[in-house]
This record gives sequence, structure tokens and C-alpha cells, in this order.
Amino acid sequence: MMRAAAGAVLLVLAARAALAQGVTVTVGPQLALASYREVASGLRYQGTGFGGGVSARYRKFSAEAGVVRLTFDPAAGGTATSGFTATEVDAWLAYDLAPYASVEVGFIRRTADPEFDAQSVGAVRIGARSFYEIGPGATVLFRANYLAAPKFSGGGHAGFSVDLGLGVDVRLAGKLHGTAAYAFQRINRKTNPGGTGEIDAPIQGTVARVGLAVGF
Amino acid sequence: MTLQLRAIALLVGCAAPVAAGAQTVQNATLRRAQQAYDNLEYRQVVSLAQAALRERLTGAERARAYELLGFTYGALDSILKAVDAFKQVVLIDPERQLDPNRVSPKAYSAFDVALRQVLLVRQLRIDSTSFVGGRGAVPIRFTVTQPARVVTRAIGTSGGSYVIDSGAWNGQVNLSWPARLANGDPVPAGNYTVVVDARLGQNAFSASQPIRVSHGSVDTLPSLTSLPGYQYLPETEVPPQSWRPLGLAFLYTGGALVGTLGLESSSLGSSSKRELAVVGGAALVTGFVMTLRKPAARPAAANILYNRLLRDQIARRNQDIAKENVARRQQVQLTLVPLSKPGGAGPR
Repeated sequence: MMRAAAGAVLLVLAARAALAQGVTVTVGPQLALASYREVASGLRYQGTGFGGGVSARYRKFSAEAGVVRLTFDPAAGGTATSGFTATEVDAWLAYDLAPYASVEVGFIRRTADPEFDAQSVGAVRIGARSFYEIGPGATVLFRANYLAAPKFSGGGHAGFSVDLGLGVDVRLAGKLHGTAAYAFQRINRKTNPGGTGEIDAPIQGTVARVGLAVGF
Repeated sequence: MTLQLRAIALLVGCAAPVAAGAQTVQNATLRRAQQAYDNLEYRQVVSLAQAALRERLTGAERARAYELLGFTYGALDSILKAVDAFKQVVLIDPERQLDPNRVSPKAYSAFDVALRQVLLVRQLRIDSTSFVGGRGAVPIRFTVTQPARVVTRAIGTSGGSYVIDSGAWNGQVNLSWPARLANGDPVPAGNYTVVVDARLGQNAFSASQPIRVSHGSVDTLPSLTSLPGYQYLPETEVPPQSWRPLGLAFLYTGGALVGTLGLESSSLGSSSKRELAVVGGAALVTGFVMTLRKPAARPAAANILYNRLLRDQIARRNQDIAKENVARRQQVQLTLVPLSKPGGAGPR
């Protein structure tokens, strides 16, 4: 809890410093809904959580980062017996190629606690996004990222990993924004436990984050 | 009846100009001559006027005496004597004019002949004027009664003398004086006397008119903030309301849905759509609300270009005005006003 508060303070301080450089910044808290599946259809979880996000824009460059802490419980009808908590950190750095499209790079890091109840993942994001202002202060966003060089706490590798995203940012009043973001992850993890041969251990998850943000 | 009326009109016409000037007559003999003229006693007018001329008279009285003689000789059909008398009148008072509607044709023609037999410079007129040095001229008008060599000069009270014109003139003369020195500079400010000297053989006549020349600064032009007939256009425009926001929200949400369905792992089964429903619903609601709202103003490229051209045009004009003002600050506004004449015309 203390770390979360310190992170929020750091975000606010960073936002104010950036403002002085002519950078537009938004920062705010988020509530999250999530689902998580791993290895087989029976091993599925649903969870909720909270976190925060910050975004900044300077001319054609933009940056976005978010952290969310999720508490997963076994889903009804599943084979999982206990839940776990996960902390996910996402970050992107984008450059606008056009008024409605940009390329982006970033990373994702999700850690599970207890460590072996779910896979912890780290990967580099490479992708693109399209965004459009559909009204005064309202922007919709769609992104597609390839998750390159993924690392897993349980070992293994993944030849194909993608992350799709949908986002909405609406200026509600003055500097207050409403934000909503959806992410879908599909990671084709393969592992070779005990050298007995490579088996599929895919990971699939969705996260929805809804929150408020203050613009500077 | 008609003859009587004409005679009366003629007599009234002869008498009118003489009677008009009788008020200033101080000499008794001349007054008696005037009364004799009023009583149509022409013989007595001649003797009394000649007697008055032998007495001490002012210039005006002397001119009046000759004028009485001129009208009287005209009435007596002694045209040559009338002409001689009128010559004396115009020599004394060169500006003297007779009204052809009020004097008899005989007297008027005799006066006209007299004018053409005497070298005079009459009706010297200089109008008030103001102009930028080098861009205007002072109009000078006068009448020379005989063909003569006429030299027109401006003589300053401080000693400077500038020849305005020199040439052979007869009749009405119109001159333009740019009031500039030989090097192009305007003549110095001060009082001047414009002197017109006419010479014909041994005869010479001179007329003059004092004037005052003053210098002033030339008004500068104000800078432009707009061009007449051209106005800045709004650089943003509000597009018409449309379903585009909702359509885009559908497109983006649909893309996410299709991507999710297409990429779901068959071995893991269909994933939860709760998260997509929350965010996609938010996107669709936002699109619907934005469809109902007034669209945001967007830059109007054509208007921005037009305004830029207009600003450039105004800036160029202002640069020209600035250059013009620099030139104007080095120029002099000449103002010329004729002064009252002290009485400076006469034969030499």
C-alpha cells in the first residue's frame, strides 16, 4: 500500500515537472476487471483490482504507462483451487506517423504472487495504434502489439504473442478525464518440463481498466 | 416713348458709377462738377472738372475728376477726349473696372480703348495654396493690357530674389510657380513680394502682391490594420453534425471484438467478454454522445491560407507606408497666403 501511494506521488510530481516543459499530461486512478486462463480451459480465473495510469504527449511523441494490482479467484466451473494476485506494469512510447496513427514500443511485466500459482511474464512490446478524435475531447484508440522475447517464471518460450487494446478517453469537465482501456493477450507459450518433450502451455488474459484522470 | 426710355436709361447708366463714388469727394469744385453731371449740365461738368484738376486733389479725387470728364465726353460724343480722360483714370487707378451693364456703351468702349492704349498690369491675383514642396505650384494670374516683355519675380524681405517667369505676354496670363530653388529645395519661409514688371519700349509698368510663405511638416500616413473590402476569415469551422463519431466507435470496438475472437486459443476456450463489454460499451456510449453533441471546430485550411496572404499583403503595404513616411518626414509642406496690399502698382 505504501509503495502504491509513493508511486502515485511520484506520478503527480513527474506530471508537474513535464508540464513545465510544455508537455500535456494526464494521471489518475483506475479500477480493473480481469480474466486469466492458462494451459487448459479449466484453469481459469476472474479478478478485480485497482491501479493507476499516466500519459503524456509532447508534439509527435507520446508515452503511456499503467500499473494495476489484480486479485484473481478461480472462476466458477473451473479446475483451479486457489487464487493469486498479480501486479502488471505496462508502458508504451509512441511516435505519430500521421494525425491518426503511430508506432509504439514498450514492455509488459506481470508478476504473480504466490510465484508459482501463475506465470509471471515479461516481454517487449512492438506495435502500432490508431486513434481518432470522435468529438470535442473524446478519443478512441485501437492498438495491436507483438510481444517480443517473452520471459516466463516457469520457463519456456513463445513463438507467437500478441496484445490487442481498445481505449477511450473523454474529457468530462475541465481537466477531468474519464478513461477506459481494454487489453487482450494471447501468448502461445511452449514448455518442456523434465525434458520429456515440448508441450503447449498457452496463456490468455483480458483486462479492463476504467478510471478518472486529471489533465495538466 | 421708346426713345425717351432709352435716353433715360443711358443717362442713368452714365451717372451711376460717378454717383457711386461721389461720397468720398472733399474738393468743392469737384463736388460741383459732380452735381452738374447729375443735372446733365455737361458743359459745366467739363469746365468744373478741369478747374478741379488744377487744384490740389487726392489720387482718388483726381481719378474721379478724369472719370467725370470721360463719361461727359462720352455723352457729348467726343470719344477721343473721353479715351484720353479714361487713360488718366487707369494710370491713376489701374484696377479700375467699369460695369458694362451699368455704363453706356460709348463710355465703356472709350474706357476699353483707353485700357488698350496704356501699358498696365492689372488684376494680379495669387490664391492661397498649400502643397508638398516639389509636388505643386502657386497659381499667379494677371492681365497685361498691351503686348509687352513681362518679368515676374518673387522678392524676399530678407533679400532673396527669384525669377518666376520672363516672357512676352499680352492679355490674361496664368503662371505656376513651384516655389523651389534651383537645387530643388523649397524657397525659404518668409514674406515675399511678387512683382510683375511689364516693359514696352520706353513704357514700363509694375504691379506687386505681397505673400507669406510658411513651412510645415507633411502629414504621415497611418499604418494599416486591414485592407478595405477584405476581412479576416475564421480560421476554424464547425463541421456539420453526423453519425461519424458513433460509426468510428463501432469500428474501433468491432476491431477489438474481432481481434479477440480471432485470436482466442481453441485449447483455452472462449475468454471472458465482460472486460470488452465494459470498455466497448463505454466507447459506443461516448460515440453516441459525441454524435449528438455539436462537433468540435476544426482548422479551415483555406481560410488560414487566405488570412496569411491578407496579413502578408497588409505587412507589405505597411512597409511601403513606412518608406513613404520616411520620405514624407524629409519633405516640406509649403503654405502660401497673399497679404493685404500696401498699394504697390503704378507706371515707372
